[in-house]
Amino acid sequence: MAKEIGADRLGDLYIDGGKVRKRREWRGLVDTMYDYSRWLKIMTILGKFVMKPRNVKAMFRYRWMANYLAVPMMVDRHTQGLRGEYLRMCHVEQDLIIDDVAKLLDNLFRGDRRIGNDTEFSKKVVLVDENEMTAVMMGFPMLKSLSRETPSTYVSVLLNQHAAEHYIDVAQEFGLAGDVCPMPEAEAGVSIDDDAPVLGACAIQCNTTCDGSLLGNGVISKRLELEDGIPVFQLAAPLRHREDDVQEYAAQEIRNAIAFIEKHTGAKWDWTAYFDCARRVNIATRCRQEWLDMNRTDYPQVFGSNLALYTETNYMAICGRIPAFEKADRELTRLAEKAYNARKRAAKEYRHRAIIWGVQSHFYMDFLVWLLNCWGIVPLTDMLSMVSTRVLAEEDTPENRETAIYDMAWLTENMIMRNRTHGGYKVLLDELWEFCEMFNADMVVLWEHMSCKALTGMHGMFEERAREKGIHLVWVTHDLFDPRIISRQGVRDQINNYMRTVMREEPLDPSLEILHDEESW
Amino acid sequence: MKDLKHLIFFEDLLQEANNVLVQQAQQEGKVCVAYVCENTPEPLLNLPGAFSARLRAPRTGSMEVATYYLTSFLCEYTRALLERAMEGGFNFADCIIAPDGCSMMNRCVENMELLQALGRDKPRFFHQYMEIPMKADDNGLNLYTLQCTNHILKPLQEHYGIDISDEAIRRAVAEHNRVCELIRAIGEFRKSDPAVITGYEFHVITLATYVAPKYLLIDKLEETLEELKTREPDKKSPFRARVLVVGSEVDDTDFIKLIEDSGAYVCGDRYCCGSLPGRDPIVLTEDEDALTQICRQYMLRGQCPRYMNTDKMQGRREYVNKLAREYNADGIIYEQMKFCDPWAYEKMLGAHVLREDFGYPVLAVDRPYAIASSGQMRTRVQAFVESMEIKKIQKGEQHG
Repeated sequence: MAKEIGADRLGDLYIDGGKVRKRREWRGLVDTMYDYSRWLKIMTILGKFVMKPRNVKAMFRYRWMANYLAVPMMVDRHTQGLRGEYLRMCHVEQDLIIDDVAKLLDNLFRGDRRIGNDTEFSKKVVLVDENEMTAVMMGFPMLKSLSRETPSTYVSVLLNQHAAEHYIDVAQEFGLAGDVCPMPEAEAGVSIDDDAPVLGACAIQCNTTCDGSLLGNGVISKRLELEDGIPVFQLAAPLRHREDDVQEYAAQEIRNAIAFIEKHTGAKWDWTAYFDCARRVNIATRCRQEWLDMNRTDYPQVFGSNLALYTETNYMAICGRIPAFEKADRELTRLAEKAYNARKRAAKEYRHRAIIWGVQSHFYMDFLVWLLNCWGIVPLTDMLSMVSTRVLAEEDTPENRETAIYDMAWLTENMIMRNRTHGGYKVLLDELWEFCEMFNADMVVLWEHMSCKALTGMHGMFEERAREKGIHLVWVTHDLFDPRIISRQGVRDQINNYMRTVMREEPLDPSLEILHDEESW
Repeated sequence: MKDLKHLIFFEDLLQEANNVLVQQAQQEGKVCVAYVCENTPEPLLNLPGAFSARLRAPRTGSMEVATYYLTSFLCEYTRALLERAMEGGFNFADCIIAPDGCSMMNRCVENMELLQALGRDKPRFFHQYMEIPMKADDNGLNLYTLQCTNHILKPLQEHYGIDISDEAIRRAVAEHNRVCELIRAIGEFRKSDPAVITGYEFHVITLATYVAPKYLLIDKLEETLEELKTREPDKKSPFRARVLVVGSEVDDTDFIKLIEDSGAYVCGDRYCCGSLPGRDPIVLTEDEDALTQICRQYMLRGQCPRYMNTDKMQGRREYVNKLAREYNADGIIYEQMKFCDPWAYEKMLGAHVLREDFGYPVLAVDRPYAIASSGQMRTRVQAFVESMEIKKIQKGEQHG
C-alpha cells in the first residue's frame, strides 16, 4: 500500500472469480480521500436516481437496468493505479458521464409509456441512435434528444462485461446469423425482446459505423414505426466522406432531418442555440488538440481511457449541447497542463509509445489502463479519439447559417468510428502510419474486432505496412460485446505473449499478467 | 426435356471470367469495364465502345492468400475475387468500378488496388469507387447521377475516349433492354407448371448476360426463346414444390442445381445476379436526360438491403410476396452468403415477415460462395420440400 505510482501490485486486489475486488486501492492520504469523496458523489447520484419510484419500477421492467448496480466498480476499474492529476482527470470525466447517463435514464423513464408515461414530455423527445452524431439536435434546445441504445447496450457493457449476452442470444434465436457485429446485434436483440423504453415524438436513425449498424436500425425502426407509431427519419450520411462530390448530398440530408423534426415536434430550429453549441464544440476540439499535442511529447497527459471514453461521449453524444462539458474540457486542460509542466508521468516506467487502432473491445475499455500498469505501454491515442478537428462556424451570419449545414453534415459523416471504417483505405490504413510518426510511436496495438468487416478487410495490408515501417504491430482479437468468444484474459494473453516472446520483456506489474476476472463487473 | 441447343455454350461462358466473348469483344477494340455490384447501372458500362463484365471467380478453390489479406470473416465472394485477382485472373479488365455497396466489397477492391492486382500492362487502367444512395428519394437521385457522372462517365471518356453523350447512353439502354426483354420472355416460361425451362438453365442463361458482352449474346438468346416455345416438358416432373429464391449474390449455378436436385423447382430468382429485378427493362422518355432516368429506375427498383428507408424496407418484402404470387411459388428460400451483414439482417426480418404476415413457408439458409454438393444444404432443402408437401396434403384434407 503506497502513495507512489506503481508501488502496488494491482492484481492482488482481484478476487478469483469475484464480481468486485478485495478492497479499495490505497493511494496515499490525499488521493485516497479525494477518490473516496468522488465515490460518495457517485453514490449520491445513484441515490437520487433511485429515490424516484418510476426509476425503481424501471429497474424491474428492464433487464439491462440491473447492470447499473456496477457503476462504482466501473469507475474503480478506470482509476486503477492513478494518482494526482491523472486520478482527478479520470473523475472529472467519469463523474460527469455518470451524471449525464443518470439524467438520460431518468428522462427515458419519465416519458416511457410503460413507466412514467408523461405524454407532454414525450412529445418533446427525439430518439437518436447510440452511435449517432447528435449534430442535428444542436439547434433544438427546447427538445430532448435521447438514445435508448446508450443505456440499454452501450453503457451496460461498460458496467458489466456480460450485459449484452442475453440480447445477442435473442437476436440469434430470432434468426440473425452469429457472424455479425455484436453491437447492432445486441441493439436489435433489445428491440426484438421489446426491452427498450417507448417514448418520443419521432426518431432519427443514421447509417452510423457499418453495414451491420445500418441494417440493425431496420429491426428497430420496424418496431418503432410500425408497432409503436413513432415516425422515423433515416439520415443517410455518405460513406466516402472525404470526397467533395458527396457533401451536397450530406447537407441536404441534414436539412431534411431538421425539417422532419420540426414537422413532428412543432419545434423551430434555433440558430442562436446552434451557434452556442458550435462554439462549445470548437472549445472541445481545441482542448482535445492540446491534449494530443502533449501526447506527442515525452510527457503525455490525457490518454488511455481518460481520452477514449470522454471523447466518445463529448464529441458525439453531447456535441456542444451541454455546457457542463465545456467546464470539464477546461478543467481537464488545466490539470493536464499542470502535470505537464511538472513533467509528471502516470506510471513508474514508460517503455513503449503505442497508437491504439481499430475498434476496441467494449467490455474491456479499462484495457488501456492495464496496458500502462502491466507492461508500461503508453496508449498515446486511439482510433476513436482521432476525430474531426474542423473548426465550425460559430458566428450567426446568413453565410454562416449555410456553412453550418455543411458543418453538421461533416460532423455526422465523421462520427466516431465511421470516420475511419468508412471513407476508403486512406483514413483507416494510411493515416495510422502518419499518426505513428506524429506521435513518435514505436508500437501499434491493433484491436481486431473479428466481426467488423471494414477493419478485418485491411488485415493483410496493416501487417505489410507495419513490416515496411518497422513498427511493432500487436493484434488483439476480440468480439466487441461478447466476452464468451474472447475473454478479458484472452485479450490480455495476446499482449502478454507478444511482450514475452517478441519483445522479450518482463511485466512492470506481474500480478496483472493473469487475472481471473471472468465474472468480474 | 430435350437439352437446350445453346446451354453448353452458355455454361462454357461461365467457366472463366475471361470467357470467349469477352476476348472477342476486346479483339474488336472494345473496353472491358469490370464491376462488382448490382447498384452500378449497367447501361452506363455498355456505352458504344465499351462492355461490362461482372466479376466472379468460377471454379474457386483455395482462397488462402486472400484470406490472409481479408481474414476469414469476410464473405467468400470477396475473398474469391481477391484471390482470383491476385492470380491474374482479372487482368483482362480495362478498369474497375466499385460502389461502396457493402464494406466487404469495398475492402476487396481496395485490396486489389493496393496490391496492384489489376491493370498490369494497361497504362490507362483505373479504379473508381462511387457513393450510391441509401434512400430512394430526390436527394438520393441527385447523388446517384452526380456519382455516375464523376466515377463512370467522365473516367471512361477521359481514359478511353468513350462517347458519353445522351444519345450514346440511349443506344446503350436500347441494347440493354433488348437483352432484358429476351431474358424476361424466357423467364416467363417458369410460370407454367410443369415448366419448360429449369431454374438451373435459366440461371445459367441469365448469369451469362452479366459476365459477357450483351451484344454478342442476343442471337443465342433469341434462338433459345424460339426453342422454348416448342419445347415439351417432361411427362413426369421431378419437382415436388416450387420455390422463389431470395437473397444475396448468387453466381454459383450449382446452388440452384442443388435446390432443384433436392426436389424444389426454382421458379423465381430474386437475388443479385438474378433477373428479378436485374433484368427489368429501363423505360426512357424524351422529356428528361437518359442518365437521370436510368439512375431513378435503378434506385426505385433496387432490392439491395442497403436501402434503409422504411418504405424501401417494407417494399422489399412486398416485392417478394408479389413475385411469389406471380410465379406461383409454394415457398420461399431466403439465402445469404456467410458473413454478409446486409443480408444477414434482411434474411432474418424477411423470413419472419414472409412467414408471419404473408403466410409462406420459408427456409432461411446461409451458404458458402461455391457450394458444390453440400450434403447439409441438400438435407435442409429436402426437409423444406417435405414440409411444404405435408402442408399441401393437410390443406387438401381440410378442404375435403
